[in-house]
Amino acid sequence: MTRNRVRSAFAFAALLLAGATCLAAAGIPEFERALSSLALPGEAEIRQAFEVGFSQNRLEVEEALLLVEGLSRAPGNGPEKQGILLIVAGALRDGLPASMLVSKACEGLARGVPLLAIEQGVAQRARLEVEVRDLLYAKRIFSAPTEAAAPPGALPSARFDALVSEIADALADYLEGGGSPLEGYLLLDAVTLRLTKLSGTVLPPQDVSLVLARIEAGDLTSVVLNALDQPKK
Amino acid sequence: MSADSLEEALRDTLHQEVARERPRLDGLEKCVTTELAGRLPRLRPSEAFRRLLAPTRGARIGQLAVVTATAVLFLLVGVLLAGKVSPWREPGLRLTAAGAGDARGAAGVLFIMPAPGAKSVAVVGTWNGWQATPLSDSDGDGIWTATIPLAPGRHEYAFVVDGRWWGQDPLADEVVRSFGEYNSVRYVGRAGDGA
Repeated sequence: MTRNRVRSAFAFAALLLAGATCLAAAGIPEFERALSSLALPGEAEIRQAFEVGFSQNRLEVEEALLLVEGLSRAPGNGPEKQGILLIVAGALRDGLPASMLVSKACEGLARGVPLLAIEQGVAQRARLEVEVRDLLYAKRIFSAPTEAAAPPGALPSARFDALVSEIADALADYLEGGGSPLEGYLLLDAVTLRLTKLSGTVLPPQDVSLVLARIEAGDLTSVVLNALDQPKK
Repeated sequence: MSADSLEEALRDTLHQEVARERPRLDGLEKCVTTELAGRLPRLRPSEAFRRLLAPTRGARIGQLAVVTATAVLFLLVGVLLAGKVSPWREPGLRLTAAGAGDARGAAGVLFIMPAPGAKSVAVVGTWNGWQATPLSDSDGDGIWTATIPLAPGRHEYAFVVDGRWWGQDPLADEVVRSFGEYNSVRYVGRAGDGA
């Protein structure tokens, strides 16, 4: 009797898993078709990086599909569209979270912003993500694939990615609002406000405390200056 | 010798005496505590606990321990219960003084846009890839509304009134610049919803 119940439970779990896998994979062919319709020279590179991102849960297929569909509707030439996709692909290849970048690009497309301006805005956020990730590493805050595999001091990659994404987004918003990168305390205020408001919802309070205890105003100034100095990728 | 001068001489003598003996007095307290600690019998934890609860020798301390443990237990239960029923975990719509809604549960976040005479009003945001979700004005009073279920977190958005973007919602928690224009922000969840 008990054995039958265990078998039924396993069968049910396997069905659920199979269903979830089918659902997750359902959008990928659609994404690939939409990407092919753009006829970009770097299509293979973009597809490969995006598929890595899907498998690592750093980007949802639906988000990517919205971006590609938005690009296909947008007026403009192929190289500019490819430029936006290559920035996202580069972030995914570097193991960075890409949802924020895709969302920014989709917003630009919806607003009818010129493709070059969208590319510049997305590129700046991508550079900020790189710098923020490096800052967290320098502050001995690392990421691990899963919670079980996380050594002391390391966060599961989803939590680490959420920190990188939110800090970079807060810095980008500060800069877009006309803030100076030299005002380190204002940068720190912006980051503190963002993390504190998200503490207990999308960010665990202990992660927020960890970051705020280790970063200083000067660190953020360096992050922003480095991001602004780097050549466009 | 007058009484005053005698007292003064006596005080001076005492000060000199204390100053002379200071090196010996400095370590006196540490000396005494070390000596006393050495003389006390060392108890194992089980023995100490047994003595604490003994009816004859430690009756009062034992009672005190039981009362304290009970109080701590009640406090823990209270804290746990408070966590279960705290307001930010309560599902459903909750209007704040600012009029913003809380999106946990099925009810969602309430978006309000006064636009008398408008033909169409929609809201676009980070939650839907900046695709338009229409607002409705069923009674025709010019106040367009929509209630949208949103996950906890930070959501940027703007209204689109007859095709024109409007990103400065007075009910927003924040307003940020984006592509040279404005976006409103709602925080949904524990620290957000305009509270």
